[in-house]
Amino acid sequence: MELANDTVIKVEGLHKKFCRHLRRSMFYGTLDVTRDMLGWRYDGGTLRQHEFWSLEDVNFELKQGEALGVIGPNGSGKTTLLRILNGIFPPDRGSVAVRGRIGALIAVGAGFHPNMTGRENIRLNGTILGMTRDEIAARFDAIVDFADIGEFLDAPVATYSSGMTVRLGFAIAIHAVPEILLADEVLAVGDLRFALKCYRKIAEYRRNGGALILVSHAMQLVRNVCHRSLWLEHGRVKALGETQEVCDAYEQDTLQRGLAGARLEEPVRINHDPLVRITKVEFRDAGGAVGDLFPVGAQLRVRIHYACGRVVTKPNFSISLVTVENIIAVANHSLFDAPGLCASIAGSGWVDFVLPTLALKPGHYYCTAILGEGSLDNNLDWHERAYRFAVTADGWPPMSGLFQPAARWDAGPTTPGGTV
Amino acid sequence: MHDTPTIPPAAPTCAVVVYAPGARRSTGFWRSLAVMGVNIYRSRELIRQLFIRDYLAVHKKSFLGFAWIMLSPVVAALSWFFMNAAGVLKPATPDAVPYPVYVLLGTTLWGLFIGFYQSATQTLTTAQGYILQIRYPHEALLVKQALEQVVNFAAALGVNLVAFLWFGVRPHWMILLLPLTTLPLFFLGAGLGLIIAVLGVVATEFRRLCEVGLGLMLFITPVLYTPAALALSPRAQTVLHWNPLTHLIEAARSTLLNGTLPDPLAFALSALFALAVFLVAWRLFYVSEHRVIEKLF
Repeated sequence: MELANDTVIKVEGLHKKFCRHLRRSMFYGTLDVTRDMLGWRYDGGTLRQHEFWSLEDVNFELKQGEALGVIGPNGSGKTTLLRILNGIFPPDRGSVAVRGRIGALIAVGAGFHPNMTGRENIRLNGTILGMTRDEIAARFDAIVDFADIGEFLDAPVATYSSGMTVRLGFAIAIHAVPEILLADEVLAVGDLRFALKCYRKIAEYRRNGGALILVSHAMQLVRNVCHRSLWLEHGRVKALGETQEVCDAYEQDTLQRGLAGARLEEPVRINHDPLVRITKVEFRDAGGAVGDLFPVGAQLRVRIHYACGRVVTKPNFSISLVTVENIIAVANHSLFDAPGLCASIAGSGWVDFVLPTLALKPGHYYCTAILGEGSLDNNLDWHERAYRFAVTADGWPPMSGLFQPAARWDAGPTTPGGTV
Repeated sequence: MHDTPTIPPAAPTCAVVVYAPGARRSTGFWRSLAVMGVNIYRSRELIRQLFIRDYLAVHKKSFLGFAWIMLSPVVAALSWFFMNAAGVLKPATPDAVPYPVYVLLGTTLWGLFIGFYQSATQTLTTAQGYILQIRYPHEALLVKQALEQVVNFAAALGVNLVAFLWFGVRPHWMILLLPLTTLPLFFLGAGLGLIIAVLGVVATEFRRLCEVGLGLMLFITPVLYTPAALALSPRAQTVLHWNPLTHLIEAARSTLLNGTLPDPLAFALSALFALAVFLVAWRLFYVSEHRVIEKLF
């Protein structure tokens, strides 16, 4: 296959199949091995009974110095793709051309022997990763320095903390300096200080012309590190392009599917007065349309419908928005925010809680709605986390905080004559 | 801070590797053998490191350490001596070789053969944990596995030689040919083992069948008894005659003890058979190792 000068990986029409059925898989395996052994030609690029495509018609190119993110839900074929690129699994149809040494940052530290010292394991692991004796000797100090294992160098790896093991594994792998680096969910490990060190190392590696393929569920990481991204879904390429676009689309899709597919945990509804009920809670956008998906920065209206069989004086409406990690992001009470909203209610009606700018981090949120009377602790009808909506990124710059209020920045000089 | 190595520019100078379906199948037989030979040569350091890891590091966590390697041959030798001294086992042996010497050497050689077989069956499983992560020539693993057996055999042979001196038997100078005379045992053992390493993953029946078969082979090979002991049964003689292991083990044992090769033609044919099995197995391993790895885990 022809490769352009600056292309390091070219994947064309790549297919890979697996078999779901254990017995049949044994049968096919025996058959294929026999045919391979006898040199018979056969078409392995079609599906037989119980087989499925783990990867189907995948095409992409990677150039020198580029970083490609591979995203997608579990079981979409990401790891299989890495294994094929690495030459561990052969393709069933299509082809993969690779220029240069491939290094894998997959499950770093695989192959460490617990009884051997750090020093011995560096030699062992370095050799497994394809370094020569001289290369290991030349980079030995840099590896030890990077892993920051200090006096543990001559202690058996069994005595290391898990963090140290990971650091050592990563240090060896990154110093193997391949032309192409495959990383599968590895940057999520280790402490923050080490993670930052790794990012810097990877950035340096790329500046020097190294190419990177990063498989990760951490969208933030993919956005920060990768130019382009590949979205795999059921083994097929759902999108390939600029990281920002692909990641946004993927997140949008995930949120939507989460809303459709996920069932609410058994919501807690506590009623202290059968005559007073919250009948419905709706999420509306600026135009009044009801939905459950809202972009960051848009307006959100939470509408509480109620029905009262008696007069409720000094009613209080409470709304809390809770993340899926159970952190209360927003908790507002009409009794405090708008004491004059209504002196009393009876019959049925609605109340809107309006967030003019929905400045919440993209993700899923639960909504709690409470209708009370007179004070905050007198709840008549309480729907704890009974509703759900999602905030989508939609082109906003990445947020790492939970809440991004509309803030102002001021500046001024502290020394006379200083300029701002 | 130390200098960080720079990444070699992924240059047009690097060769392009293409992975496509059936690439290995369409590689010629001799060429595939050559490719694997070159891979093994290039993996010398890897073999050394893996040997250190799997063979030497195991003994780090024991008080006796490497003494364990000697222990089992010593126990084996003592048990044969005991049975012989107790009069349980005193069959006639050719050339007046004491029976304990005869049986000790025979079982050591048989152990080498079985060792080659078993270690070869584990060629792909020995690297669990990183075989799915990192690409390297797996044939290096076979060599590492076989090396472990050779070291075990050397230790056992050392114990045997001490025992021989005790019985007043002096090994012939042709003991120096042992690497040559035991080579067919490697071919046959490792060949069968590789075939099982491949087929045993696809279907476990093959592994079990082969193990039962080898258990039976011990009884139709003159290891525990001498061919002379079966002189009265022509049928048993025929079975023994057609068993290549008979000739391979006889040759190794006889050259060591007496400096003679009892049946050179039978030995040559058996050795050729062993080589053929090995070449077929080697090819099988080459064309199907990927498929096996896919199904391994």
